[in-house]
This record gives sequence, structure tokens and C-alpha cells, in this order.
Amino acid sequence: MAAKPRYPTGVHPLLREETARRRRIEARFVDAFAAAGFDEVVLPIIDYVEPYASLVDSAAAKQSYRFVDREGDLVAIRADFTPMLARALAPSIADGDLPLRLFYRGDVIRVEASRLGANRELFQIGAEIVGDDSVDADVAMLRLASELVPSPSIVYNDVSIASTLIAQSDSVRDALAAKRMTPDVPAALRTIVGKLISGEATIDDVAPFAPEAAARLCAISDALGEDDVFSLHLDDIDGRSGYYTGLRFSVFTNGAKVAQGGRYDNLYERFGRRAAAIGFTFTIDDLD
Amino acid sequence: MRIAIPKGRLQDRALAVFADAGYDVPDDADLKTRRLVFDRGGIEWIFVKDGDVPVYVEHGAADAGIAGLDQILEHECTAYQPVEFPFGRCKMMLIAAPGAPPLTKVATKYPRITRQFLDGRGVRAEVVPLSGSVELAAVLKLTSHVVDLVETGETVRVHHLELQDVIAEISPRLIVGKTFYRTEPKLVRELIARVEEAVNVSKV
Repeated sequence: MAAKPRYPTGVHPLLREETARRRRIEARFVDAFAAAGFDEVVLPIIDYVEPYASLVDSAAAKQSYRFVDREGDLVAIRADFTPMLARALAPSIADGDLPLRLFYRGDVIRVEASRLGANRELFQIGAEIVGDDSVDADVAMLRLASELVPSPSIVYNDVSIASTLIAQSDSVRDALAAKRMTPDVPAALRTIVGKLISGEATIDDVAPFAPEAAARLCAISDALGEDDVFSLHLDDIDGRSGYYTGLRFSVFTNGAKVAQGGRYDNLYERFGRRAAAIGFTFTIDDLD
Repeated sequence: MRIAIPKGRLQDRALAVFADAGYDVPDDADLKTRRLVFDRGGIEWIFVKDGDVPVYVEHGAADAGIAGLDQILEHECTAYQPVEFPFGRCKMMLIAAPGAPPLTKVATKYPRITRQFLDGRGVRAEVVPLSGSVELAAVLKLTSHVVDLVETGETVRVHHLELQDVIAEISPRLIVGKTFYRTEPKLVRELIARVEEAVNVSKV
């Protein structure tokens, strides 16, 4: 028998059964998106690095494969759809078009696998609503995400709470990221940071620091109603929020994270057109 | 719940912390067997090389564990670090060969931390990854410098090396995987509370 072909770390072909499985899952997503009024767009597999330089932090930038193309420009293989869609879309949006409901699918390539045995080549499907900053859009996207996988559990929060506190003292970033109080956190913030770390914080606790985010989370939680799929975790905080500006959520199924999403109301502005936006991306390789 | 215990330098202290916290941990007789996984009191205790604890926890193969900040940083582990321990503290330092030559080559067990430190300083130097007795590289002039943990400074003194810079203050931490934290909040809260309590009591 001939030896099995070898491939670079993190990539592999899908043969007949795996391809059939992938296409089944894909079809389920595409049907759900179409039923909810989303139109598909296709984005290029490589793009210039320069237009994204200001919004990607250096850690994230290092996750993409970059090289110099024949014209001497620095280009990267697609590692994140969201900013690419914003750049592609922003100049062509007419006022009457909004809100837009769009979805996209394809591979992204990351230099470092983020999970054990995770692929470097990941197949993702994502959707977003552009030009709608309402609570209704937030709730619509949360609900749509919950309908795409069996027995989902969705954790949500608002990144602006943490960024408001970090703006007051950078020490808060480390404390929240590690979930441990540090001596550098100023006295005025110790109570709220302590509660966010221990998970005791309620919306009332954060309201004095981030009133808009607190009101918004209340509205979202009311609209979602009694539903144990969704849970507000005010302690679900990363040290850095990237381009996210408000609602942020993760979708878990069978104890594994399969999707993430959130609101990025300033992203389109960076490409020349103000438009609020909210979206999510599923990594299909992780699904059954 | 599966908890990863680092073999080596931190093993005894790590087990003592969980014992103080009221957990049924594997005892000496257990550890004399060559097994690496023990079921005690509903918890699976796994024994792995200290540098592998962040890897197990990061990828969800273990739910929690005890790891030094050196290994957490080297593996760019994003797990939460809710408890910092008072024992096993040391410093990650830049150490020069006798006569303090210019910084051209650095031997280390921590290539990633070293690279970041050099980049941060804007220094162009070659990093030589080694797996042990790193100071010897400077003594034998394999490299101009080494980056390593310094506890008492005895190794450095004996070999007439020069401490040049503190790169990081290192302490062991309880680390908890992000997915476990999200999916089992009650178990996590209890674990953190009990470990914190044990640390506070033993401090007195």
C-alpha cells in the first residue's frame, strides 16, 4: 500500500465522507441564513496588510501568513473575515441600502492553532447586520446564533464595561484578564473589579461606571426573556477587546466554544463609512 | 474535574495546597507507583511536566492546574490565573557571562519570553534554546548571555556570572481553563474559594 501523503501542520484534505459532512453542515447554515434574509458575499483569500494595520493589534497580526507579492506589496492570507467585509463594503454602501444582512463562508488560515489539534486552516461561516444599532439587531443575531447548533449555550457581555474601567486605570486590564486582584488597582475601582473577578457583579453594580452598557444589557436580557440558552456573564472579559465596541458573545455546544461574535460600531468608519454592525462567526471544523 | 499537578520543583507545594483546601489528593504511596493519573474524591489528578501544565489547561485536556508564570508566559497560555501563591517565587533574569561581553547570543529554556524581551529592547541577538543547565552556556562562552530563573542567585555567584536585568517576577498560580470557567461556574467558584482559603490560612 502506498504511504499516506504528508501535509504541512494543521492542514489536511477532506475526502468523500468528511466533505459530505462539511457540506451538510454548511447547507444547514446557508438555509438558516437565507430564511432570515441574509445574502451571501464572497471575499478574496489574500488582501493587503496596510489597510488593516491600525485596527489589528500586533499579536493578532502575527497570526496571519504574510508575504510580499510580485508587485512588492505586503499581503496576508485571510485570517479574519470581519474587517475584510468592512473594507470591501464601506465605500459602496448607499444610505438606502441599510440595514444590510450579509453572510460569508470560506477558509481562514492562522499561523498558530488556537486549540490542541486545531487546524491552521479553519472553515468559517459568519453573518452580520450592517447599519442597525438597535437592541433588536442584537437580539436577532443572538437568537439566530442559537438556532444553528444543537443544545447551544450562549454567554454574552458588553466589552465597553471593561474598557471604561481600563480607561480609568490600565492595571484593571491585567486584573480582569487573570481574574485576580492586583495591588495596582486603584481604591476607587477595587470593589467593582473585585466583584467582576468573583462573578458576583450585577448590572446594578456596573451601572454607575458604564450606564449605557448596563441599560443596553438590561434591554437585551428583557428581550431574550426567560431562556436558559442565554446567560449574561459580566465577568466574561478579555484583556483586549479588539475592534468590538459593545455586545460580545460566545456560543458553546458540548462544552466547546464553536462561535463568537459581537458589535463593532466603529469598524466601518475606519474604512470611510459610518455604519453600526453586529456579527458572528462559526468555525465549522468544530461542529458535528 | 481534572486537575494538573506539575512534577518537579512545585509538585509537593502544589499537592499541599490542595490537601489544605480539603481535597483528597494522591499520597506518597500512590506517587511511588508509576501511574500518572489518580482518581480521588471525584477529581482526576494528573501529573505532567511543569511546562506542560499550561498546555493541558489551555487546550481543555485539564480543567485547572498549578503553573509558574514562567511557563504560562512561555506557552502564551490564556487561562485565568485566579490565585497567586506565596511559595516558589523567583525572578526571570538576564545574566551575562564573566566579563559582561556585548549581548550577541542568549541561551535559555524560554525562547519565546527571551525573544519578546529582546524585541522589546530593540536588541538584535540570537536565541539559543537549551533544555537545562543553562548557566553553563555562559560559563563555557557558548553564548554571551543567558535568560533563566534566579531563586537564591547561588548558581550565578558560583560561576562568576553577572545579573543584568529582571525580565519578570515569577510566581506559581492556580490556572483555570476558559471553557471550564464558562461551562462549570459553580465548580470553579468553589475550587477558587477553597484554594484561596488554604493559601490565606497557611500564610498566618
